[in-house]
Amino acid sequence: MRDDWNDDRLLGVLSQALKARQAVPSWFIETGKNAFAWHNIDAELAQLTYDSNEDRREAAVTRSETASIRALTFTSAHLSLELEVTGNSLLGQLLPARAGELEIHTRAGEISTTEVDEIGCFSVDPIPDSPFRLRCRAPDGTDVLTGWITI
Amino acid sequence: MRDDPHVVALVTRASGGDQDAWYELVDRYAPLVYTICTRYRLSNHDIEDVGQNVWLLLVEQLGKLREPAALPGWLATTTARECLRVVTAASKAERLGTGLDDSVLFVDDTVIDEEILMAERNAALRAAFAELPPRCRQLLSMLVSDPPHSYAEIHAELGIPIGSIGPQRARCLDRLRRSSALAAFGEGEEKIDIRGGEPGA
Repeated sequence: MRDDWNDDRLLGVLSQALKARQAVPSWFIETGKNAFAWHNIDAELAQLTYDSNEDRREAAVTRSETASIRALTFTSAHLSLELEVTGNSLLGQLLPARAGELEIHTRAGEISTTEVDEIGCFSVDPIPDSPFRLRCRAPDGTDVLTGWITI
Repeated sequence: MRDDPHVVALVTRASGGDQDAWYELVDRYAPLVYTICTRYRLSNHDIEDVGQNVWLLLVEQLGKLREPAALPGWLATTTARECLRVVTAASKAERLGTGLDDSVLFVDDTVIDEEILMAERNAALRAAFAELPPRCRQLLSMLVSDPPHSYAEIHAELGIPIGSIGPQRARCLDRLRRSSALAAFGEGEEKIDIRGGEPGA
C-alpha cells in the first residue's frame, strides 16, 4: 500500500498515469488489438532466408550497381517459396512444386486468394503497398506461412 | 508487482484464445510500447510498423512466455530492438543514397528500465482508478485535467457543494490508495525500499 504517497503526490502520479494512456493514439491501440487475429494460426512458419536487397546493400559499398530484380526466398522445414518482383506483380514458385491455394494477408486483416498451378507457380498482382504475408495451402496438408514482406 | 496475479491471469487467458484478455493486455501496455517508440523519435509511420511487429511477436509468443509476469520487460526489450532495426535501416539507406555518414540514435538501457518501472506504476494506478466508483472517477478526472477545473466548475458540473469537494477528494484518494491493484504494486516497491534502506546490510 502506498501510505507514503500523500494526497497531492497521489493525485500527481494518477494524473501522469492517465495522461500516459491518453497520449497513445487510438490507431496504435487498434494495431495491437488486430494482431490477435494471428493467434493460434496452425501453419508452419517460413523464415526469410534470402533477400536480394541485402546483397545489394553490401555490394553497393564496393561497386556501383545496376538495377536488378528483387528476389526473396522463404524457407520452412518442408517447403520453400521463391519470390520475384516483376513490374507491378510478384511471381512466385513453391519448391518442391505442388498445386494449391495462396492467401495474401495484409496487416489491416484483409485476405485475398490466388491459385497455385501444378508446377507450383503463382502471381500476386498488384503487389500490396503495405506489409503482407503469404500463406500456402495444398490438399496434401501443406500449410506454410511466411514472415512479413515489404516490397 | 513482478508477480502481479492479474497480469499472469491475462496472459494465460489470452494464450487460451480469450480476445478480451488480449485487448486488456494491449490497453495496459500500449503506453509502454508507444513511449519507447517516441524515445527513438520515430515517425508515426515507423511507430505503426514497430507496434505491429511487437504485438504480432507477442501473439506468437503468448503460449511460450515462461514467466508471464516478466511481460513488461519482454515488451520493452522487443520494442527497443524493433525501434533500433527501423532506425538502423533508415540510416543505412541514407548513407547509400547520399554517401554521408549518419549516427544512429541510441537509447540507453537505463532509460528503458525506467520506462518499464513507470509503465508498471502507471498501469497499477489506472487499474486502481478503474475500480473506483463513478463519482470518484468523475471528481478525480476533473481535478487532474489540464488545466485543472476550479472547485466552482466542479460544483457546477457534478453538483457537489464546494465545501464538500476537499473531503470527497480525500476520501476518493484514500480509496484509490487502498485498492487491491495499487496494493500489489506498493508491496513490490516496499521490498526494494527495505532492502536498499537497511544500513548494515
